[in-house]
Amino acid sequence: MIDTPWPAGPFEFGEVLRIAIALLWAILFSDVLRRFVPIPRITCYALAGLMLGPLGLGWFEVQDMPRFRMLIDLALALLLFELGVQVNLRWLRTNLWVVAGSLLESALAFAAVFGLLLALHMDAKLAAVIAAIAMGTSPAVVMCVAAETRAQGQVTQRMLVLAALNTAYAIIASKLIIGGLHGAFKGDWLLAVMHPLYLILGSFGIGTALAFAFKLLRRRFDFSDEQGGVILFALLLLTLSALEALNLPVGLAPLFGGALVKFIDPRPHLWPRYFGTAGAVLFTLLFVLPGAAVTWHDLASGAGVALALLLVRGLAKGCGALTFGPASGLSLRQSLALGLALSPMAALALLLVQDIRLIYPAFGNEAAAIVFTLMTVLELAGSVAVQWALRSAGETREGGA
Amino acid sequence: MGLGAFARSEALTLGVELELQLVNTHDYDLVSAAPDLLRFLSRRKLPWDIKPEITMSMIEIATGVCHRHADALSQLGEIRDALVAAADSLNIGICGGGTHGFQHWGERRIFESRRFGHLSDLYGYLAKQFTIFGQHVHIGCPDPDSALYLLHALSRFVPHFIALSASSPFVQGHDTGFHSARLNSVFAFPLSGRAPYVQTWDAFDAYFESMVKTGVVESMKDFYWDIRPKPEFGTVEVRVMDTPLTITQAARLAAFVQSVARYLLVERPFEPGESDYLVYTFNRFQACRFGGQGTYVDPESNAHRTLSEELDATFARIEPHAMALGADQACSELLRSLRTGEGDAALLRREFAETGSLPETVQRQCQRWRAA
Repeated sequence: MIDTPWPAGPFEFGEVLRIAIALLWAILFSDVLRRFVPIPRITCYALAGLMLGPLGLGWFEVQDMPRFRMLIDLALALLLFELGVQVNLRWLRTNLWVVAGSLLESALAFAAVFGLLLALHMDAKLAAVIAAIAMGTSPAVVMCVAAETRAQGQVTQRMLVLAALNTAYAIIASKLIIGGLHGAFKGDWLLAVMHPLYLILGSFGIGTALAFAFKLLRRRFDFSDEQGGVILFALLLLTLSALEALNLPVGLAPLFGGALVKFIDPRPHLWPRYFGTAGAVLFTLLFVLPGAAVTWHDLASGAGVALALLLVRGLAKGCGALTFGPASGLSLRQSLALGLALSPMAALALLLVQDIRLIYPAFGNEAAAIVFTLMTVLELAGSVAVQWALRSAGETREGGA
Repeated sequence: MGLGAFARSEALTLGVELELQLVNTHDYDLVSAAPDLLRFLSRRKLPWDIKPEITMSMIEIATGVCHRHADALSQLGEIRDALVAAADSLNIGICGGGTHGFQHWGERRIFESRRFGHLSDLYGYLAKQFTIFGQHVHIGCPDPDSALYLLHALSRFVPHFIALSASSPFVQGHDTGFHSARLNSVFAFPLSGRAPYVQTWDAFDAYFESMVKTGVVESMKDFYWDIRPKPEFGTVEVRVMDTPLTITQAARLAAFVQSVARYLLVERPFEPGESDYLVYTFNRFQACRFGGQGTYVDPESNAHRTLSEELDATFARIEPHAMALGADQACSELLRSLRTGEGDAALLRREFAETGSLPETVQRQCQRWRAA
């Protein structure tokens, strides 16, 4: 065939088209839906994603996920770094009740999920992994809903901090348990101990490097302007590539790096909401793309267990928040709102499951059906719950100037 | 509610009230944390008065009755420490300053109480615009008539108080060019300004009664005057000062007001008159706008001089009284801070120039408040 400047059918469209359609569809759908129901934008994005995924049009499938992994990773890294910056470690040192509340709500959530799965005769190792993942609150959901409602106050601040902490616990615990699985599957106990240790220390190392690089660059650049925003993106891309090269998990390093930045430099660290337009694109995809992961088969096999898990996990987090809430300076009403606001699960849980699947394909599938179903419900309902909780705590500033 | 009798108080005793800013520690914007902070503080029995103010990002502290500058300073220190500890537990920042540099008034929330709800209904957006932070100093008066003498005599020193305390150059994210922009927000209220020129308590009572009859006011609280009598306490309350950045400065200001009051009550150096008020708003404006560099028009001689010159002359006149009150050092440090350009407004401008960021300026305000 002779090279011709003219296109020849059939036309080949790559990933770009699918991403474009996903973005367009998500925004249009959200725009229309929100005229009728006052729910958070991200809830609409997640719904739009489900419609594009195997549950609906089949435009995206779970096999596609690795191709979009880079976008999801970057979105999460940006969010987790920002979340980290909002974690004031000095405060946690001053008010130990907040830490106690965090440990308790996570421990109760783990125990409740683990206990229920055992009672349902699930394999203990599988149950432990799911329980570890279920400790985490979706940082993406709580941050995006807080940003969208412009919430500010004690409940908002604690929701963000507790989400940061339990996300860290979830990542660390799931890696530790996977380490244990190494031992169990392969009989290699040295690796079982050393590998999680490597993952955790490695993440802290990269996080530390990120924090000091940020501090160094802040001397020259204002991160709230365009140039600074580009630098911040670049810094997190650099972090991601280092994490990838070293086979380290995505979540821990940016989170820890952010918290370290605030610890070594308590000045305000501010950048545009959603990191500007590029960030907004990434975050939209972060909520749309997980829709690709859930199939009818997952829902059918996971729904019963997932709903039971949702209840016990919600109860556990609520009890955890209520127990130490008043001692840490919240009213009962605020404590309840906080417990509710900790319910969302989303993309991060998906990534954790995918990581497990990569190492143990057979093992991951069973967990996947349950976690994906749980995640789907808790992304949709969880984001509405957060909105409701923050409103009832009187901390949203919607419709203001 | 009537005016009531003028309570007995020991002459020249002192009480200090400070309205403070509550900010978050992330972007240092104001945060509606007053209910949280009050709830947290209510667990401990504190001897001090800590009260909500009209919007939820404000809190007001008050000392008990003090005799000397040193009492006021030590009481303010104890309240400050208790507040800072509570705020640390809640991850809130507390700071001084007459305005918050970049808050948006529209985002403020009215503190839920009957009185504040009523004020909000009455004044509309002015109530939210009233998120400004002042220092009030009460001076004990031996009897109501000398209270009214003091009130009117003190009016000549209002520019002094403003220039020495000014700490509100930034409003809604911009440098206003004023040293104290806070008072501009007070002027919007219909019952602000100055008290009517009456010299006896009976005449004042009659004025108050006729105002109540008009249905415009219910209590003395409805008058937003620069200086007003507080019959329940038996004091005259000077309300024109911005909240300074530190309690050190707040105590010095109180000592200065007390020394001027002693000078007036002991020496009775002049008889105030209605004509004093001809230049009152001009002088007041000059002090707000230009601080020490503003023009001061002497109400008696109509001579024009800079407020700095007037301040020097005033310090010389009140010095023996300051010494008698053990306030001479506090007063001279106050004057020095203005002369050397270390007044709070100048300080805030310098910090903004250094950091290029109002959030960071507010963060430094918080550090300054806890440190000194």
